[in-house]
Amino acid sequence: MEIVFLLLGVIYGLIVGLVPAAGATTGLITLFGIMPYFASDPYLGVIFCVAVVASSTTGDSFSGVLLGIPGANSAAATMVDGFPMAQNGEASRALSAAITSSTLNGLFFGSLTFLFLPYYTNIVMYMGVPELWGLVVLAFVTVGFVSTKNYIRSIIAIVLGVTFGLVGVDANNVARFTLGWQYLEDGIQILPFVAGLFAIPELWSSWKTRSATDDVEYWYGGTWKQIKQGIKDVFVSWKDSLRGGMIGSFIGLLPGLGGAMADWLAYGSTVASNPNEKFGHGNVKGVVGAEGANNSQKASSFIPTVLFGIPGAPFAAILMGLFLYLGIDLGSPETFYDDKLFDSMAFAFLVGTIITALICYVLAYYSSYIAKLPYKFYFPFILIVIVWATLQYTGGWEDIAVLTIFSIVGIIAKKYKFSRPALLIGFLLSDRIYSLSYQLTSLHTMNDLITRPIFLFILLSIIIILYWSLTKRSKLDYA
Amino acid sequence: MLRIILIAMLFFTTVAKADYILIVPQKPSGGTSVWSQIVVAEWEKHLGEKIIIKYLPGARDQMGPNKFQNELRFDDKTILVSHGGNGISYLIEPVEYNYLDWDSIGHMNLNIIVGAQEQVANRCCQKIKFSAGSGMIPEIMAITMLMAGPEMDPYKAFNEYITFVKGMSGSERRLAFIRGDLTATRENPAAYKKHVMPLIEKGVAMTWFHHGILDTQSGNHQEDPNFTEPTFEQLYFNMYGVSASGDFYNAYKLVKSWRDSIQKAFWVNKGNPNKQKLIDALNKMIADPESVAAIEKKVGKYEWKVGQDGNDTVTLLKSLITPEALKTLVDFADVELGYNSVYKEELTK
Repeated sequence: MEIVFLLLGVIYGLIVGLVPAAGATTGLITLFGIMPYFASDPYLGVIFCVAVVASSTTGDSFSGVLLGIPGANSAAATMVDGFPMAQNGEASRALSAAITSSTLNGLFFGSLTFLFLPYYTNIVMYMGVPELWGLVVLAFVTVGFVSTKNYIRSIIAIVLGVTFGLVGVDANNVARFTLGWQYLEDGIQILPFVAGLFAIPELWSSWKTRSATDDVEYWYGGTWKQIKQGIKDVFVSWKDSLRGGMIGSFIGLLPGLGGAMADWLAYGSTVASNPNEKFGHGNVKGVVGAEGANNSQKASSFIPTVLFGIPGAPFAAILMGLFLYLGIDLGSPETFYDDKLFDSMAFAFLVGTIITALICYVLAYYSSYIAKLPYKFYFPFILIVIVWATLQYTGGWEDIAVLTIFSIVGIIAKKYKFSRPALLIGFLLSDRIYSLSYQLTSLHTMNDLITRPIFLFILLSIIIILYWSLTKRSKLDYA
Repeated sequence: MLRIILIAMLFFTTVAKADYILIVPQKPSGGTSVWSQIVVAEWEKHLGEKIIIKYLPGARDQMGPNKFQNELRFDDKTILVSHGGNGISYLIEPVEYNYLDWDSIGHMNLNIIVGAQEQVANRCCQKIKFSAGSGMIPEIMAITMLMAGPEMDPYKAFNEYITFVKGMSGSERRLAFIRGDLTATRENPAAYKKHVMPLIEKGVAMTWFHHGILDTQSGNHQEDPNFTEPTFEQLYFNMYGVSASGDFYNAYKLVKSWRDSIQKAFWVNKGNPNKQKLIDALNKMIADPESVAAIEKKVGKYEWKVGQDGNDTVTLLKSLITPEALKTLVDFADVELGYNSVYKEELTK
């Protein structure tokens, strides 16, 4: 019975992972209605839900690699080299490398997570406000300097991203950057921002080059060879993959930082570790490094969730609600000694990851044809999905207006090489840097900060990265 | 084929029309959202109809109640659940909704408990580091009074003894308290048991005080049978030998009562023809030991007020809004806490 629910969870998770507008969080929200069916055996519900998390995480690379549209925020880093690989006819190789790196790290760090769960308490405890603040600054420096050679434009993009992210109300409930438009007081919604920034510019490019690819180019054979090559790439670049996994695993431990930051730090470290190579034009190491962080981050997000009942990521908050429905209160002393709960979670995450990988290899073989499809076959479908998903917020004209504004921003940014990933990371981390700066100055003094070794280590890393970036300019020019 | 499609469409539209819609003014991962999902599952069983949850968070969780007030309440199948933050916003912010235009279906009368590190609790003149957020105003006012006592100006005590740390989510606040970055925190009973009790058992924290449960007849705070520690009023008396009083205290009582006594509340428009049916189903749910056990296991044990009791509570809450208390609350929120607050004279009439 367990395997049946595991398979059902994997299939459902893969579907939501493949849809550009969906993802693990969206997929889990819709599960509340079916939770009563698990009343007789709540552990089957646990298996189902965790399998959804495991599979949706792997599936979100597809649209980024194939269409240049990140399936989830975290998949944007994979896209930087994955999408050019697809355009160069190596879609299956890119996807295979992504799946393999994500899966192996998910299995390795997932096993470490579930095997040594209680021992992580101290790591979480050492990471206070100053350390988290330092990590967010590190992410800005990585995406701003390491991931692009146009770092002045990249800094402008980060500042713009942060500004867009701060639209809404401040910590005092005062409207900020809303230009008097009440609709914006709840902030700019993530979906029209990401879709406008990435999806519409790619659709626009396809429209402009439509005459060149007006017919389907049927292309037989060769892709299994690419899939094997993708697997081989991960073993050749095992250091990049493992480093990505370690970064993802560490970031996942810390509530509130999120997958996008993990993937960008992993990507940035891959670029920095291979100074003589060109990135942004289809280097498979870029895919391997970024994807290393993907599943490992999800795995370690379970740690604060299970140990403290504090969700390590948005999906974990929904998961806690679903478990509560099953009578399982994560973070409470009763569940801490529930061996069957941990066995169910470990089984679902680890076996679910393996099954997902096998299905994804097959999907990678067939879905690579999408990259060869002319725009007219997917343009209307994607546009409809984006508009529909955007309208789910209020259903009013304002939703479409925001999508239109950020589509124009995305097209301009792409044309004039203002890094769109930098815009995105600025947007995603704006609230964090603002809040953490506030907390840092409220709770700590300079004398206190210089006694914190981890904080000092992070500051030193930032200085080294800045020095490296300014003296050995990155060759990456993805925008 | 066309006939099948038409029949299917008719079936689905009929089903959709028959369903109730519950507006939740929060993101799906929020506390009230999870609470609603759990209660709705039991409520539906006794109602015999589906209740579809629709999330309308918006800025400061006000979009849901505002939309309900302006358009959604006129649909007889639409219900709103409000939370404590909506109660505070009603008092101090320029919101569009008005509880007096609605009928209560039922609500939970809740208590909030404040925990603190051993070294700061129960002592005067300690530097308290507490997480900010408009939902924390009652706690911060209570702590301010405990620090000020009867002699000192509360505003001065706030500036001298309290570090109000802004920008922390619930998760961050809990971790910060465990780490010791914050010296005090507050939770509802279920969350308190989960997040603070383990620290008390370890001997690093203690229950400082709780607010008590509002007696909806007398308007006073009663003891909570679940907590033996003193209420704020008892603690203040123990520390200073006199009872807390004055405009600042009345402002505290006002904001505390509006937040906690309708902490989780179901509403429909006044005169909604489905009101009695919904109340009956809720009463059946409360009388069903299986449903009660399922809810209490997941969200803790709270007192339910159903039907007219809910409307009586609103009448009592309205009586607490005096010009002096409201002015003091708005002034403190605006000047000291920095919130965008406005004094709404119409609330006092």
